[in-house]
Amino acid sequence: MVFRDAFKTATRSLAHGKMRSVLTMLGIVIGIASVIVLMSIGRSAQDLILGQVQSVGSNLIIVIPGAPNNGRFSSPAAAQGIVVTSLQQRDVDTLSQEPSIDYVVPEVRGQAEVVYGNNNTTIGYTGSTADFFQVSNLTDLSEGALFTKSDVDSGNHVVIIGPTLAHTLFGSSIDPVGKTIRVKNVSFRVVGVLKKGGTGVFGVDLGNLVVMPITVAQRQLLGINYFNVIIAQADAQYDINFVKNRMTAVLERNHAITDSNKDDFTIDTQADILSILGSITSVLTIFLAAIASISLIVGGIGIMNIMLVSVTERTREIGLRKAVGATNKDIQQQFLIESVLLTFTGGIVGLVAGAGIVGLIYLVLSNFYTSLAWQFALPFSAIALAVGVSTIAGIVFGIYPARKAARKNPIEALRYE
Amino acid sequence: MIEVRDLRKEYRDEETPTPALRGVTFSIEQGEFVSIMGPSGSGKSTLLQILSFLDRPTGGRYTFQGKSIDDMDDQALAHMRNKTMGFVFQSFNLLARLSVYDNVEIPLLYSSLPSAKRKKSIENAITSVGLTEKLYVEAARLSGGQKQRVAIARALVTDPDVIFADEPTGNLDSQSGLQVMDILSSLHQKGRTVILVTHETQTAEFANRIIHIKDGMVESDAAITRHHPPRGALK
Repeated sequence: MVFRDAFKTATRSLAHGKMRSVLTMLGIVIGIASVIVLMSIGRSAQDLILGQVQSVGSNLIIVIPGAPNNGRFSSPAAAQGIVVTSLQQRDVDTLSQEPSIDYVVPEVRGQAEVVYGNNNTTIGYTGSTADFFQVSNLTDLSEGALFTKSDVDSGNHVVIIGPTLAHTLFGSSIDPVGKTIRVKNVSFRVVGVLKKGGTGVFGVDLGNLVVMPITVAQRQLLGINYFNVIIAQADAQYDINFVKNRMTAVLERNHAITDSNKDDFTIDTQADILSILGSITSVLTIFLAAIASISLIVGGIGIMNIMLVSVTERTREIGLRKAVGATNKDIQQQFLIESVLLTFTGGIVGLVAGAGIVGLIYLVLSNFYTSLAWQFALPFSAIALAVGVSTIAGIVFGIYPARKAARKNPIEALRYE
Repeated sequence: MIEVRDLRKEYRDEETPTPALRGVTFSIEQGEFVSIMGPSGSGKSTLLQILSFLDRPTGGRYTFQGKSIDDMDDQALAHMRNKTMGFVFQSFNLLARLSVYDNVEIPLLYSSLPSAKRKKSIENAITSVGLTEKLYVEAARLSGGQKQRVAIARALVTDPDVIFADEPTGNLDSQSGLQVMDILSSLHQKGRTVILVTHETQTAEFANRIIHIKDGMVESDAAITRHHPPRGALK
């Protein structure tokens, strides 16, 4: 039997039970649509996160105290809340002398209650130098001015706050600039309000940011003399990995480390972080798609069930076809084409439905959450997966019923009531 | 054309062998119209199944058009069946939701005839059983007699050498039964071999030879004087 005839016979059989075919297909439609939606959301989220990291600049190198752990970004010591004091002022000073580095920005971080009048909230604060804003791409202010190097050197009690915090503390009627707020019971004068809100790098809430001179944060709020992070911005003329290696060498020399396996700091470039974040979001996407594919399996079992019913119902037809010359292969082919047609059509419908849902999500997010910068993404891999998986599902779940049909004894099949 | 020697068939049911054919020997020449008769359980249906390649014997020798069935695998038998044999069943075995045209086309789907040449063969076969006006009518909407005529058209469409008819009048009223037998007689007159299985003497007598089967063996095998000459029903 030529393929064209087999195809025609299969479509005709499916068309005779339209309602049944549609309902059977529904399982695959739902399965494929959910895989498409989750893969697409995963891709959009990945683009969003990576975009935010990249927006800060691709030539950043981040140093965190504590030994590196199999190349993972987060130092295990810091992650477990263990205090690691390995990053000191001397490191900042020596790194600043490197010609391949434009900026070296140390940071300390803490959690505190912030109060203005009767309004208060507990948020994380950052102590850093004046270069912090340059390196973090946060130089745009809606009001006031950034604090300066002299503010840092003199230990002036000044802060820059995010727009959400400004609204929480001052409401919309009071101009925050020049007002005094209390952070952990220490008074600070607000000198500027950031323009940009939303979510920053690593989920930092830019709207609620509080940045103060690192000298004040270290001495008066935290009582420490080490840093939580050092961020360096490499000179664009230099290869980022060269700069990273230079920094490693400087820090190892400062810390008197001869065996690089015993480093007491973790150093990562923006590319390292992007690659880690990329793999995290990819794993997440695959995980989500794997969950969604469970519905695909359920749909496939539905197909197998209906095909088995169909084989039994059409026993006499199988007997007749065999009597007039159909080979086992012809019968198997016919039933296999039917199941693949069901799943393939289901896959295409699921793909369209999934793309529709993804489009709808994009429309909602781009209209109502404008700060999110959510992008429409329908990865080619998702389309290929939908078409490929649905076809394979048709073969996998159709082969058993098709073989069962092909193996029917024509004499018994013709006698079947 | 057909030669069987000491043909045997045994069915095994839970290790107990039940013989259905116990050494059947005869031969049928091209162009003969043979009725195989016998009471139920005599083995006549088993014999027809073996003759039409739907089953294999457990003993003896069956040669069709000079070729031994033992030398052919299932696929070769299926191709041979498609090329050289036509089937008419008691219960018609039409696909109810397909049109007359589509039902008659089924054997051609498994033949090597290019689809462009099929239309003419199908239309000729349907015309020869007098159902031209029903070409695109759903099989389910036909009367019993018409259904069996469609089944005959389906048997004819591949231009087979031999037509096997298994109780072709069993589900029909006498008028329709006569029409069907007239068509089979006419096919025989045109040179086709027709092998008919029936338990009705009146139907069997349309043939020019009757083989009686009893207890899996040939009881008698004789040419008969025609009682029902074809009445020219075939167009």
